[in-house]
Amino acid sequence: MHGRLKVRTSAEEAARKKKEQDLKAKAYRIGMDKIFSLRSSESFGSELLELTGKILSVNPDLSTLWNIRRECILKMTEENKEDSTLFDRDLGFTELCLQIQPKSYGAWHHRSWILENSPKPDWDKEVNLCKLYLKKDERNFHCWDYRRYVVKKANVSAEKEFEFCDDKIQKNFSNYSSWFYRSQLLPILHPHESDQSRPISEEKLKEELEIVITAAFTDPNDSSAWFYQRYLLGYSDPKFDIACFKLIKQHMIIAFTKAVDLNRDKISIFIDNNCDSQWMAISGNKSDCIWINRGDFEITDEILIKVTHADQEYSLTAKKYDKSAVIGCKLPSFGYEFGIAVKEELKNQLESCNQLLEFEPDSKFTLLTAALLMRSLDRFHYHEETLEYLKKLQTVDPLRYGYYRDLASKWILEVKLKEFVESGKYEKIDLTALDLTTVYYNQFLVIANEIDLRENPALNKNSCKFSLVEGCNVSF
Amino acid sequence: MENGQTESDPKDLLFEKHVNYVTNHGNDKNDFEYTMTEFLRMSGIYWGTTCLDIMGELDKLDKLSIIGFIKKCQCIKSGGISACEEHDPHLLYTLSAIQILCTYNALDEIDVASVGKYVQSLQQPDGSFFGDKWGEIDTRFSFCAVAILALTNQMDLIDVDKAVEFVLSCGNVDGGFGSKPNAESHAGLIYCCVGFLSITHNLHRLETEKLAWWLCERQLKSGGLNGRPEKLPDVCYSWWVLSSLTIMGRSHWISGEKLKEFILSCQDTETGGFSDRPGNLPDIFHTLFGIGALSLLGYPNLKKINPTFCMPEEIVEKLYKVQIMDS
Repeated sequence: MHGRLKVRTSAEEAARKKKEQDLKAKAYRIGMDKIFSLRSSESFGSELLELTGKILSVNPDLSTLWNIRRECILKMTEENKEDSTLFDRDLGFTELCLQIQPKSYGAWHHRSWILENSPKPDWDKEVNLCKLYLKKDERNFHCWDYRRYVVKKANVSAEKEFEFCDDKIQKNFSNYSSWFYRSQLLPILHPHESDQSRPISEEKLKEELEIVITAAFTDPNDSSAWFYQRYLLGYSDPKFDIACFKLIKQHMIIAFTKAVDLNRDKISIFIDNNCDSQWMAISGNKSDCIWINRGDFEITDEILIKVTHADQEYSLTAKKYDKSAVIGCKLPSFGYEFGIAVKEELKNQLESCNQLLEFEPDSKFTLLTAALLMRSLDRFHYHEETLEYLKKLQTVDPLRYGYYRDLASKWILEVKLKEFVESGKYEKIDLTALDLTTVYYNQFLVIANEIDLRENPALNKNSCKFSLVEGCNVSF
Repeated sequence: MENGQTESDPKDLLFEKHVNYVTNHGNDKNDFEYTMTEFLRMSGIYWGTTCLDIMGELDKLDKLSIIGFIKKCQCIKSGGISACEEHDPHLLYTLSAIQILCTYNALDEIDVASVGKYVQSLQQPDGSFFGDKWGEIDTRFSFCAVAILALTNQMDLIDVDKAVEFVLSCGNVDGGFGSKPNAESHAGLIYCCVGFLSITHNLHRLETEKLAWWLCERQLKSGGLNGRPEKLPDVCYSWWVLSSLTIMGRSHWISGEKLKEFILSCQDTETGGFSDRPGNLPDIFHTLFGIGALSLLGYPNLKKINPTFCMPEEIVEKLYKVQIMDS
């Protein structure tokens, strides 16, 4: 029961209402009994259609009654499969039900069943119907989802759909559903020229950025456009790759950017072209980022690691580090590398955000987006500033305090990890007194012998999976 | 204050009132609301039994008559279970029935093997599940299917890998999930998909950072959670969102304290029970999800609830091990 206000009524009024409801309940009971008795005697005809119709038009969530209607229609059209009259009539009927309850799963499903079974489905008409319903409620997800289904059937082009979707956004920027659809259509219409991991072309991206920032600035407190902006700026979860590899006499360790289930995710690991399946997840769980292979290994000058996953091949060359270890490590990609034109636009946007912040210093989404823009431009150059923005966000948006703390920890680790990997000195990583709450990228740290995490009082030690690796000494 | 909250809203859980509200629900079989909701009766009973069990008052309901009712609702032909007698079986109500039976440790009271066959018969070549023989496809049904099979220890009846691929194909660029491929992200369906991945031990295939941010952005100034951007808060999303965040180890990304205040403000101080928003009429559905979310938040004197199955942890523990991510 949603959105029904509790109203105070007099005793008289309540009694009157009760009486009215009792009558309705009685009529419902009589109707249902009749329906079930007709069904059990297989009297599938107009009487059953009429009775189910009466109840469904009041309560379209009664799924069994939709089933009975379908049984009737199938039975009644058995003789003449070319006649669409009954199907057409039920289309009209579901429309009536949807007017009463536009979010009824049962009514939407019945509509698609009718069209799938009718000898003459008119898919174009359905597209128009969606237009009408979305005019009434532009966020009705049932209707948006139904639209995507009928558009496919009616062979409406992505261009045409984009026009519709764009029109909706232009009329009202606060329409997450429409921005969402836009993010599905653009990669079809404007795919990236060379990089499959990038959703849309650089040229289109620049245009989209311009559009979305205008929308976001129109009402900075509305989240719809800001979500789209963040989508354009790129991912927050790393793509799959090898993170690092370390071999010592007693074991080999391989770590990935994402957790995987080696047994089920169809991943093969080749060490110098040998495929060995003796890998165990360090946590003992089914999936993990860090995998260990125990045995007796020889220290060689170089080891080639190849991994195949989902028809892609990833490789890493590990080199002899000292007399007891062979180590390889890949600095992960922390985000998209944009071209000059897009970067110019991002700079303008950053400037606009900062201008807006002068007038509205507590505008949450502006603060967050400014920080994300800086990171997209040059995450390392702007590091300190972005952390300042996150600190500010902790006070202006205290509900998500925990999120901003974790995000700051993530960004700090990116800087530390870059220094660590580029230094080529893997004995020790100093992560003391960084105000960390969690250790992101922790799988990269398994190559170190010593990880110093002292003076991080709010640190969640659960996030430090490397402490499970023998020979990886962690100080808290 | 936003959304009808007032200073006089209750600050504590009206324990006794809720127990009475749930216990008395359905005492008057001819009541209008009760009659008009018979099409989801089995779920209604699940909401009631689970709610009382979390409050430690399950014995207030008549176990034998409930089990008797479930037995009458199993379809001999298909093995599926319906919401009430004479209605048609459906995965939604089959899951509710199985959950109730697990709560009463009474799975052997019905033909569990034929329930398994029913679930199996509804899986499609692409891994998805029909809700019943009439062909509606939805990620809710994927959740129901694996939840039923997990609780009855029959997971090997279906092609789990394909089922996983289908659910993942319903994932979106915002990290969320919809009811089918390309459908808009929605917190209720996200719960179904995250719960599905928790049951099938595939949480590592989520885009956790993105999804958990989208979910934590559901919290509004009132402390309540909504189901999609720019929508009103609703107590049932306290469950769908908070349980998903808990499964992903990210419940600390929202304010538990503020959420608790919001949930408590949705109690009906006269009749007991919770409504979707302060000042609205209560119902048994929102009562379970209010109590369930409070349990996840560690509210005192409530049994610990399992975020994946929305059942007491002590019951789930005995039957199945779900995957939960570290925080």
